[in-house]
Amino acid sequence: MSPVDPPKEQDLVEYRVDRILEEANTDTRIVVLVRQNGPPDTFPIWVGATEGNAIKLALDTMITPRPMSHDLIKSFAEHLDITIQRVVIADVKSSTYYASVHLSSKGVERTVDARPSDAISLALRAPCPIFITQDVLKRRSSTNLDAWLAKLESKNIGAPEVQET
Amino acid sequence: MFDPYNNAYIVVLRDEEQSDMLPIWVGKSEASAISMSLENVTPPRPMTHDFMKSLLDAYNAKVISVVITDLSEHTYFAKIHLMYEDSEYTVDARPSDAIALALRSNAPVFANNSVITKQTSEELDQWLENLKPEDFGKLDS
Repeated sequence: MSPVDPPKEQDLVEYRVDRILEEANTDTRIVVLVRQNGPPDTFPIWVGATEGNAIKLALDTMITPRPMSHDLIKSFAEHLDITIQRVVIADVKSSTYYASVHLSSKGVERTVDARPSDAISLALRAPCPIFITQDVLKRRSSTNLDAWLAKLESKNIGAPEVQET
Repeated sequence: MFDPYNNAYIVVLRDEEQSDMLPIWVGKSEASAISMSLENVTPPRPMTHDFMKSLLDAYNAKVISVVITDLSEHTYFAKIHLMYEDSEYTVDARPSDAIALALRSNAPVFANNSVITKQTSEELDQWLENLKPEDFGKLDS
């Protein structure tokens, strides 16, 4: 199903979605993941505006009048008795993160390749835990991200909220 | 097709004889998900509806058909019919998701007769008369 090999459990570190940041004047959102246990850590992922908004809806537990795309995916899983077990950010190639969604139904396990935005959007709705592999954590560029994020967030204060339809 | 009056996109469905048409207003990202499939564009990474299909494929669930059931006011309704382990399932969806998934699954798209009748209203005719030729064209994605 997926081009990535299933990582071993001990190689996985659990993260949760802390917040979604908007980059002023761009069509980009930043999904800020923070480490669940152990030493504090911040892991940002850049996503498109549509993808960021889909995650924000779930993060704010907003109920939309009609099911959004990831609500539909969850609905499929519920109808077919498929459990969304976990999502894993499992690889990074030329600055693109690759995620896998781990499913189980009546003892049959499957892994499906996905963009991190789809995986995270679904994880928040399932709900299920989000993991990052040690390998991906080692290979990310680490240029004082916390300071950079703090700067970005202070710039964002008072920025108009983008309304999407 | 872009609708400059409502700042939205329109998915135009036609019946097999090309006689009736059914326009459905959708947002930009929904239009792009449908347009990519219509134009056979393969993105480098799976888009949301590609992922949706992979999840169904992983368990051999098949999309049999989708039906647009209601387009009243601002609330659009569709049903997705699935076949999984010899049982049929019906799942509630927005028409945009249903169509994007149907195109990727080579499944037929149906519309209830009541929906088609509703749409052949005066309002729609007027709107179409106001369209300029440059409003037609491929969606840039």
